[in-house]
Amino acid sequence: MSGFDISKYREMFVEEAEELFESADNVLLEAESNGTLTDEEMGQLFRDVHTLKGSGASVELNLFAEFTHDVENMMDKLRNHQIEFQPEMAGTLIDGLDVMKELLELEVAEELTREMFEEKTSELLTVIRAYINGETPTETQQETPVVVETVAAPVEVPQTNTDNIGLYDENINDNKFNVTFGFFNDEINQDNENYGFFDEELDKLSQTAQTPVIEHDDNDDFGFFDDMAAITADSKLEANNSDQKEELIAQEEKATPIAQETKPVATQQTPTASAASKKIPERKEKDTGKKVAASNNNNIRVNLEKIDLLMNNVGDLVITNAMLTQFSTTIEADKTRNAVLERLELLERHIREMQDSIMSIRMVPMDAIYSKFPKVVRDISKKLGKKVEFKHYGDGVEIDKAMIEGLTDPLMHIIRNSLDHGLETPDVRIANGKEEVGIIAISAEQANGQMIITIEDDGKGIDGERVALKALEQGQIDENQYNTMSDNEKAMLVFGAGVSTADKITDISGRGVGMDVVKTNIQKLGGAIKLDTTPGAGTIITIMLPLTLAILDGLDIAVGNQKYILPLSSIVESLQPTSEMIKKIGDGSQDLLMLREEFIPVVRLHQLFGVEPTFENLEDGMLIVVKSGNQKVAISIDEFLNQHQVVVKPLDKNFRSVEGIGAATVRGDGSIGLILDVLGIINAQIKIEKDLTAAQFAS
Amino acid sequence: MAKLLIVDDSTMLRDMLNYALNEGGYTDVTEAIDGVDGLEKAKATSYDLIITDVNMPNMDGLTLIGELRKLPQYASKPILVLTTERSDEMKAKGKAAGATGWIVKPFVPEQLLKAVNIVLSR
Repeated sequence: MSGFDISKYREMFVEEAEELFESADNVLLEAESNGTLTDEEMGQLFRDVHTLKGSGASVELNLFAEFTHDVENMMDKLRNHQIEFQPEMAGTLIDGLDVMKELLELEVAEELTREMFEEKTSELLTVIRAYINGETPTETQQETPVVVETVAAPVEVPQTNTDNIGLYDENINDNKFNVTFGFFNDEINQDNENYGFFDEELDKLSQTAQTPVIEHDDNDDFGFFDDMAAITADSKLEANNSDQKEELIAQEEKATPIAQETKPVATQQTPTASAASKKIPERKEKDTGKKVAASNNNNIRVNLEKIDLLMNNVGDLVITNAMLTQFSTTIEADKTRNAVLERLELLERHIREMQDSIMSIRMVPMDAIYSKFPKVVRDISKKLGKKVEFKHYGDGVEIDKAMIEGLTDPLMHIIRNSLDHGLETPDVRIANGKEEVGIIAISAEQANGQMIITIEDDGKGIDGERVALKALEQGQIDENQYNTMSDNEKAMLVFGAGVSTADKITDISGRGVGMDVVKTNIQKLGGAIKLDTTPGAGTIITIMLPLTLAILDGLDIAVGNQKYILPLSSIVESLQPTSEMIKKIGDGSQDLLMLREEFIPVVRLHQLFGVEPTFENLEDGMLIVVKSGNQKVAISIDEFLNQHQVVVKPLDKNFRSVEGIGAATVRGDGSIGLILDVLGIINAQIKIEKDLTAAQFAS
Repeated sequence: MAKLLIVDDSTMLRDMLNYALNEGGYTDVTEAIDGVDGLEKAKATSYDLIITDVNMPNMDGLTLIGELRKLPQYASKPILVLTTERSDEMKAKGKAAGATGWIVKPFVPEQLLKAVNIVLSR
């Protein structure tokens, strides 16, 4: 299409197409499982595919549009009840969407040839066209597919395309105008008109008005794209409008002079290039903010980066506010100081509200992730010959958009694993007295400032024993640990690196191909993962995530002469320990806190971070019990200071990763504050314990 | 300056229309995402021309035109439908709904502008 930056629009289209595919897929998957399609669903299907076709054609994805046209036709016939829905149609249409996706990808990459197109579509087209003609196709896929005659392009779409783009149009168009609009009047003498009016007077106008096509040599077919840069269509248009104007005045006296109304773009644009150049004009920045004119039932799309920027701005406000507050405390104590501090408090409240508002902009419903799963579940279960019902709960629960990307893959992986290694085949299930159809359920909820996502299956569970033996073999655990671990703890070892990669384990109890990667990805999001499995009955995997990655409530703690920030969400409790509560193990270097029948390992932060210790006995300091997932440690500190909101800034861009430090922030006085990574601290602790036991064994 | 309203559920297409119209000097363009949104916006402001897609969720283009024609301020305002088909059936439907004319999708900017210029020059 002339005058458009096609690549930009193609990008937009690909994004839009993904949503449309998803929406159509989900309707069809439902239809496939329950064998019915409501009128409303048919309408939606038709619309989705219709938009795919129209928009695809608009960005010159002609082959994509050509095939989509047939799929659309079938949906149109269904919608109008010209053909009746049969359950097996759903499968055909799902396959059709799959082919559309493939064509789209190839055509956007400009790798799609006519031959490939034939190869990919001919078989399915035969089926689709049979359905369209009211036949029930016999699915003998083995025979050589009928090669569809495509030299004569299928009816409308490509025709329109070629007409409007003029790429393949080798004949000189007899019709001087090649019109793309028309008037709805009674005379239908222009078969290929592309616009029209239902009004005789207007219609006459459109006949007399020239299309602003540059006067070409006669044997030149309709190529005003090439001349766009040299002769702007608009200047032509304007001239054309004047012609029109005269026409109008001749015909009708109260004509508005369009020439005055239509600002010729030529004045706004620096004339570009020579006639030889075939550059499509760049899109100008619009100076109107009309995009933002959104009504309440309306959405606008905003790039996440812009929201991140906003978040950063607010973060800076928080910091500045903290600076001011700190500075104000140095003012001599009098009325002024109190007044200033009071107002600063108010400001802080407003900033907090602003933060909440921006946070809510970033939130999207879980449905955005869920909607990707049904198709995957269907495809895999088909391939494996398993029967499964996929359930999802908490579709409306909101999650930070920034997390979605990092979360989708791990969840997908877990679901795949459940299907592949968790669920049994129907015959096995029946033999074990289970329902033939297995269940995979995913749910999401927000609790105590955390996002909790569970993925549950009623398959055969994980054979912890097998996993543990494997881990033992690999030196992930030692005999001692092996002997003291519960079955579930053993099963948890699938999250260990390397435990799961062996084929052997996949054959026997499978589950866990790449579970270590899943765990790593979840941890990257600041979350934790655990599993509960019951052999024969199934597995529940629980993922706990912070609600956002951008801001957290932190507690300042003093460790020797250093200050660190501890995320409030990880704190279980804090206490002033007494000597009775502390037990020493190993060579006396390792302490345990005994808290209500529970032994919790103590981590001395001074030691971990190499800070000069200010006390030797734990009871001279404070202990804070923190947890990540289901692991707890008690960290020993000097004292805790104040609690405040912290704007999280990543460290990795500016600094190497340090065990136990997760991120950084800027404090009110402009200094850098380090935010502790509880999971990292726990891992460091586990390592220390391991070294201890190893040392004990060695001695 | 003529005020235009474009109604289409495809973000990309709205963007393309908007761009083409801008290039043609029509910078006062409001976008609506479906028939319901379009009707709401049309009621709030008086537009000189409305261009609408046919197939949209919530309320389709033909219904929208019908609703608009019931409103006194839009009884005789030009309304163009964007359509991917040129069948007589479509024309009959468009005419019955009260559309002024149609434009075929994918559209060529020049031709879109030509149609727009014509209806706005009455």
